[in-house]
Amino acid sequence: MDLNGLSAEQAPPISAPIRFFLTAPLFGIIAGFLILLSDASVLSSRYSVESIAITHAITIGFLSFVMLGALTQMLPVLAGVRVPKVDLFAKIAHVFLLFGTLFMIIGLFQDYSKLIFASSLFLGIGFLGMIIPMLVSLKKVVHVTASVRAIMTSLVFAFIIVLMGMHLLASYGVGKFSSLHSLFANIHSVWAVFGFAGILIIGISFHVLPMFYVAPRFKPFCKQKVVWLISFGLVLWLILNIFLDSYSTVAKIWVALFFWAFATTVFLKLNRRRRPISDVTVWYWRSAAVFMTLGAFAWAINDFYDGEYIVIVSILIGGGFMFSIMSGMLYKIVPFLVWFHLNAKGYMSIPTMNEMIDKRLAKTQFILFLISLVGFIISFFIPSVLPLFAITFIISMIILEYNVIAPVLIYRKIIKTKPEFDMSMFSISVEGIE
Amino acid sequence: MSTIKEYLSADHSRCDELFASMEDAVAKDINSAKESYDLFAGETERHFQMEERVMFLEFEQKTGMTEGPTAMMRHEHIQMRNLVKEMGAAIEAKDKDKFFGNSETLMILMQQHNMKEEQMLYTMAQQHLSAESERIVDMMQSMIVE
Repeated sequence: MDLNGLSAEQAPPISAPIRFFLTAPLFGIIAGFLILLSDASVLSSRYSVESIAITHAITIGFLSFVMLGALTQMLPVLAGVRVPKVDLFAKIAHVFLLFGTLFMIIGLFQDYSKLIFASSLFLGIGFLGMIIPMLVSLKKVVHVTASVRAIMTSLVFAFIIVLMGMHLLASYGVGKFSSLHSLFANIHSVWAVFGFAGILIIGISFHVLPMFYVAPRFKPFCKQKVVWLISFGLVLWLILNIFLDSYSTVAKIWVALFFWAFATTVFLKLNRRRRPISDVTVWYWRSAAVFMTLGAFAWAINDFYDGEYIVIVSILIGGGFMFSIMSGMLYKIVPFLVWFHLNAKGYMSIPTMNEMIDKRLAKTQFILFLISLVGFIISFFIPSVLPLFAITFIISMIILEYNVIAPVLIYRKIIKTKPEFDMSMFSISVEGIE
Repeated sequence: MSTIKEYLSADHSRCDELFASMEDAVAKDINSAKESYDLFAGETERHFQMEERVMFLEFEQKTGMTEGPTAMMRHEHIQMRNLVKEMGAAIEAKDKDKFFGNSETLMILMQQHNMKEEQMLYTMAQQHLSAESERIVDMMQSMIVE
């Protein structure tokens, strides 16, 4: 059995997750500016290169950065595994993903094929450089819990969508598209949303909700079966999509049903939570549940309108559900990491977690984010108002970046002082006891 | 009779409940929250001692690992004891913000700690100490908090 998970030193260095967390809102800001500068009519088509670039500024730049950062921190605790050399992998992957995403955005907007090729390669290296070591480490887990199984499943989906994404992106580089291009794009997006991000969120919430809010635990049925049932739905959808397209809506409804059920469960569990606190993280969980419910229905119904409303579905699920949860998590995880690492280094007079981020700013950020989301949906019908909501979105992302930086600055300030307590005498080697 | 793992895991949940009740009491009225704080702090201390004075010792003796996982768990107990003390001081000072700042930190730290214990240490302890499981649980139950 791997005992490394039990050591304080096992936690990856604070820089591993933090570098991802600090970058994520910057891509939110970039996405906001791209929306501001783009023509609204172009954005209402999901296949325009502008839409694709902006979508990926969000899905890779924001969502994936937060997810990967969180995974480096959570794997040792949730699964008891330590990804070997996690700091090095994180550092390299971060650089590749950062430039990969920027190259992709610039390449697509400027139609610059060399840059698009480079982005495909960079993103592939960046993602796989994190996903593969994590999957390899997870294979060693002896005690496989529902959350661990969910994380593994989600990473397998991630692995596949990354390969597909690389191929799709390269097609834009060549400027030639196979007859299967739109099918591939479809699979890539649906599996990314529901397989990678969706299953990951569900798996983590099995732990997070009962633990951090003392909400009722998830039923064994949920924990044991839901991930399988969703995965089955996603594979079924793939098969129907290829061979019996007219029936693929059935599988969509199947998947949507489970996500709707999940959203409802989250909402009800939060109502029954034992902890009285109601902070920005709770509001984000709630908004995520509401948007997911709307998104699940919109996605299933969208098929009956020839996919005309897919942009609204993306805003509801990508923005309302996934973005909400990731933002809420940043508010909890960043102050905790700062406290945890300072405390482990022997600093005793550290501000409490609640003192690290200004509550009013967090609330303002949350409200501006919600206004932007609703505004984006309105803009689909009234394109002229889009710039206004692009601006509210940019402001909310700037505040989010500030709120994430604030605790990190506290860390940097305190780390320069001398610790009150010399922890070196407590440093314990766990080498050689495996 | 429950196993070591079952017994101590159930005690974690019990402490979580007491933690929530304490927060609830402070949220309602910090002036009358002392009692539920004392209950939580007392039971948490009891849990730490059941591990430090009984289970960890047995585990260390059996496996010879005195500087391994149990040492790290002891260290985290120190971190948590400090936070619990800070929360007590905040209640004395009627400082709600200070209290919730510390309770939030304790909550996350405690949950990470519990998860490591439940998923790794208790499982190992159960494997190594299965023959003595009943005696050890008995000793933990009858232990008097120092």
